[in-house]
Amino acid sequence: MKHEEVNQGVLRAYLDGELDSTRLFAVEQHLQGCSVCSGEVAILRNRAALVRDGLDRLPKLPDADTSARAWSAFQKKREEWMDGDQNRWTLWQKLSLAGGCLGVAAVALVLTVAPVRAWAENLLAIFRVERFTILEINPATLKNEGLQNNQLLNQTIGRVLSDEITVTQSPQKPQLMANAATASKIAGFPVQLLLGQTPSSLLLESGIGMNMKLDGDRIQSILDEAGRSDLRIPASVDGAVIGVRVPAGVMAFYGNCGDVASRMMAQAGAGPGTKNPSASADHHVVVHLGGADKSVSEAGVENQAMHANKVSPGETSGQEADATCVSLFEIPSPIVSAPQEIDPAQIAQVALQFLGMSANDAANFTQTVDWTSTLVLPVVRGESKYEQVHVNGNEGALLRGANQNQSGHFSLMWVDNGIVFALNGTGDDTTAINLASQLQ
Amino acid sequence: MSDRWIEAEFEAIFREHYQRIVRVIRRVLQRDSEAEEVCAEVFLRLYRSGPGVAAGGLVGGWLYRTATRASIDALRANRRRGVEEQLEGNGPVETEGPTESPLTLLLRRERIVEVREVLAKLRVKKAQLLLMRHSGLSYREIAEALQLSVNSVGQKLARAEAEFSALYERQQRRNSKAPQLRAAKEGQ
Repeated sequence: MKHEEVNQGVLRAYLDGELDSTRLFAVEQHLQGCSVCSGEVAILRNRAALVRDGLDRLPKLPDADTSARAWSAFQKKREEWMDGDQNRWTLWQKLSLAGGCLGVAAVALVLTVAPVRAWAENLLAIFRVERFTILEINPATLKNEGLQNNQLLNQTIGRVLSDEITVTQSPQKPQLMANAATASKIAGFPVQLLLGQTPSSLLLESGIGMNMKLDGDRIQSILDEAGRSDLRIPASVDGAVIGVRVPAGVMAFYGNCGDVASRMMAQAGAGPGTKNPSASADHHVVVHLGGADKSVSEAGVENQAMHANKVSPGETSGQEADATCVSLFEIPSPIVSAPQEIDPAQIAQVALQFLGMSANDAANFTQTVDWTSTLVLPVVRGESKYEQVHVNGNEGALLRGANQNQSGHFSLMWVDNGIVFALNGTGDDTTAINLASQLQ
Repeated sequence: MSDRWIEAEFEAIFREHYQRIVRVIRRVLQRDSEAEEVCAEVFLRLYRSGPGVAAGGLVGGWLYRTATRASIDALRANRRRGVEEQLEGNGPVETEGPTESPLTLLLRRERIVEVREVLAKLRVKKAQLLLMRHSGLSYREIAEALQLSVNSVGQKLARAEAEFSALYERQQRRNSKAPQLRAAKEGQ
């Protein structure tokens, strides 16, 4: 065997008796005449012994077989978890999960960033929402594999990513605003309201900023644990730092929206862990998902709206909203920055396949989208209706639930002059478009 | 193939692998209860993933991969949350016999903390590889579990051991200096 062939890997396998007889013989022959390789073997042997010594110190469980007891405990846990899962698995959670997964799996997956405009000194490209595109997801895909398993998958995502995120601007609890002028001043953009109507509540939602260092291996583990090991995260993702900045936004409620505003004020916002991401991983990830939702906005903008309009069947509350409730969320476009090496199309293809597209369809769809400015809204086929519409001269997306309970509610989203709007209420398409035209 | 497990088949897999998997997890995590919890999660994931995972006899590798990853993630999460390993009192490390003095027990626990510190600092795949090898998996089994080529296992193992050794030695040096520093400060 030539010296060049006897690399560290071969020598390590030699020490472990993992070489076949031919190679074993060849390595032994080589070692007899090569002091360099013999020295290397000694180093490898010492390191292996040190590692074994270290790992041997870790505690061992007693020899007793506990699998019978563990099986009973497991059956019980599985039952609880499946019961909970059935209750939890609603259309909007699917959307939210899809959004969360996309947002988290590598913020860039859907918000994706193309290396079009250089930013600052040398490295950042920018994403801003300028338009929406609807992407239909095959529900059969969502019902399979790990995607359906929101609890476990979210835990995984939490564990996987919580190391990598630094919050640069912590979210705060929403604040009540007296009027549009005050809200505009604090939010930093001209807030528009429905002409001639006074909102029953006007809330300012604080901005959020975070940087996330992507770890290729760990993101891959999300795909693996969702049962999609066939998808591989591109190598360029590893080590990339993604910045997400979600500006402050304003939520206006009209009509009888129940106590949703006060519930939002009670529930949302920062907890003690958010200023220091390392202090509370679980909480932190919730914050991140919220941020991703908000920026992805197929889940975020919409979710907040759905929250207001009581579309989610799993929601519990005190006072109910009724059909007069209209909510309007407006926010300057979130901004995502990423290194230029990141190839948005490549990442988007992985994300689309994760949502159930074939490799070919994903490649084709990827080419139809300008990833620097288009927010892709995943919609579950058969569970929601959607159409592309024009709102005040801008392209928009109108979504509804497909079943009877939800079909009266609409969620209309569009972007006007850099501000993302989401209008939610009850009524037909004309009502939705007319309401939107009353903004000023 | 059906996308649901036949209960008897799943139970057989559970009973066949549970003990090995919970042992690996328990080495990484401080408490029996936490190890059992993480182990149950691993099997829940297997259950959710359906019997396709077991096709080709790879279920053992899948379990080792998922379990080592989950335990390293939980270890890191504990460290972030400031969950300290118990060095004193009635900690979860069993004594080695009635003759073991409290000081020896304390030192032994310190060593355990050091090793876990190192595991938490390693890249996940490297830590997984070391744990699997230490659990007695062959190169072929490791390759299947981590989806590597068999021929690359030796090289990756050598690199992981080099990194572990460097971190471990550094950790030991730091810990051995700490009492001296304390003593020096107290003497001032």
